[in-house]
Amino acid sequence: MSTSFFKSPRLRIVVPVVLTFVLLMVMGPGAALVITEVLIMVLFASSLNLLMSYGGMVSFGHAAYFGLGAYGLALSVAKLGLPVWVGLVAGPLAAALGALVYGALCVRLSHIYFAMLTLACSEITYTVLFQAYDYTGGDTGITNFMASRLGLDPRAYGVLVLAVVTGCLAFLWRVVKSPLGLAIQSVGEEPHRAAALGYNPRRVQHIAFVLAGTLAGVAGTLFAVYQGNAFPDYAGIGFTIDALVMVVIGGLRSFAGGIYGAVIYTLLKTFASRYITHWELVIGLILLGVVLASPGGFAGMLRRLGGKKPNTNV
Amino acid sequence: MSTDPILVAKNVNKSYGKFIALAGIDFELGRGERRALIGPNGAGKTTFISIVGGQQGGGPSGLVQFCGVDISDATPHRIASLGIGRTFQISRTFRRLTVLENMLAALLTTGSGSLGLSMARLRVLREPAMRMLDEVGLVAAADDLAEDLSHGDKKRLEFGMVLATKPRLLLLDEPTAGMGLAERRGLMEMMVRHTTQREITLLFVEHDIDIVFRFADRITVMVRGKVFAEGTPAEIAADRSVQDIYLGSE
Repeated sequence: MSTSFFKSPRLRIVVPVVLTFVLLMVMGPGAALVITEVLIMVLFASSLNLLMSYGGMVSFGHAAYFGLGAYGLALSVAKLGLPVWVGLVAGPLAAALGALVYGALCVRLSHIYFAMLTLACSEITYTVLFQAYDYTGGDTGITNFMASRLGLDPRAYGVLVLAVVTGCLAFLWRVVKSPLGLAIQSVGEEPHRAAALGYNPRRVQHIAFVLAGTLAGVAGTLFAVYQGNAFPDYAGIGFTIDALVMVVIGGLRSFAGGIYGAVIYTLLKTFASRYITHWELVIGLILLGVVLASPGGFAGMLRRLGGKKPNTNV
Repeated sequence: MSTDPILVAKNVNKSYGKFIALAGIDFELGRGERRALIGPNGAGKTTFISIVGGQQGGGPSGLVQFCGVDISDATPHRIASLGIGRTFQISRTFRRLTVLENMLAALLTTGSGSLGLSMARLRVLREPAMRMLDEVGLVAAADDLAEDLSHGDKKRLEFGMVLATKPRLLLLDEPTAGMGLAERRGLMEMMVRHTTQREITLLFVEHDIDIVFRFADRITVMVRGKVFAEGTPAEIAADRSVQDIYLGSE
């Protein structure tokens, strides 16, 4: 097969999507559940990747928007009695609103101060979800508010998630290749140069922040439907660290980094935890290996094998 | 050349802790001038350029006007949109983007089109971007990453990017620093040619006296945060006190 086969962007999307679809169809319900979780995490990690790899913003609180997506759905259905389809829209909207408000605050600072502000916003969200017992159920979360997976069997829900995630990733790809994407990368790389050319760095970063938060909200909404519940942990530091590790393992400065990382991390978490009590140790060792031996992550390794530079935005 | 000032600074002060970088600078720059800003290290040249470009947020006091508009407290992007472009002492380009993408990023800030998801805008801008790369001698490197360019080519790219934003005033901070003599002259000749063609006013900081006397039509000498002398190259060359303080007395 010609090497140019995989150079076509459309084929690079179509082939994995078709393969995932086939896997969902031929494998059992248990495998379909795992694949569905992987897909949701692919979207979550890719949304963080927009901030980290393109926007130059390392967020320590990205799970806030994942959690807001989940609670946007759960509260709409369980507390407001709205139809599920309204909840499916309300989830990402809640995340977008959260990102709009928090983002306006966070993009005022940069580097570690930005990271600390994102962490603070995430902790505030987590604490509110945890403490507002009458509305959110506190640590017991919101459960049984709808049939898990919309009442669909695991394969059908997997296909639905595949369609949504593919659409979101296609949108994300469009963003990074568009004028807006070029602006996001420019500000992310050299904010002073970008500002001296006429870009408003805060505005551009804020737009990227809201886009990333909204897509994380879509992932959170899909996850709440998948689980049939919403817990404060969805907005906690644990989920944020999961996403950070996914992006680093998958490869910073690569569009595919979030995808590779989510697949590797979620599969390892699922299977290693079955056989190894302290499976986090395995993840830790892999992370150590990636940071020391291949800072470009899995995507960088693939690029090096292909004779290309490991750290370019592709 | 018109004597109508494009840039006016009055009583501009800036301190870093106890160190006074600018001590009440008064400065005027006429439209179409090519003014060199010279002086020993620590004279406040880069600080002054950065105040005009908006990169010294918080701290400076005084008045800075560009075309009659007060830009003393303006943000860098606002100043850029008014028509002041600048290059930095250490060239700043988007190193992980290709040379062409760098130029496109610069061109996106011009015109009325907003940032969005339309690929059509990038397609439309590709031709002017390639034309601008051709003008600064980088068309062959269009697909290279900016970080892979030589030092001189990075300077050319940065200059081309700023030029693409169609500034009325261009601030160049040590444009030829770190380059060989022949390369310095070549780069400066290119910069002066393009700015002259476009009637862009030029204010440049430079340590190379040969470059200064060759390309500037007026020179401002700064010492310890103050304007020490100002005049044509011939006047500055003949000024004994400048020779003593800056050029070194015989």
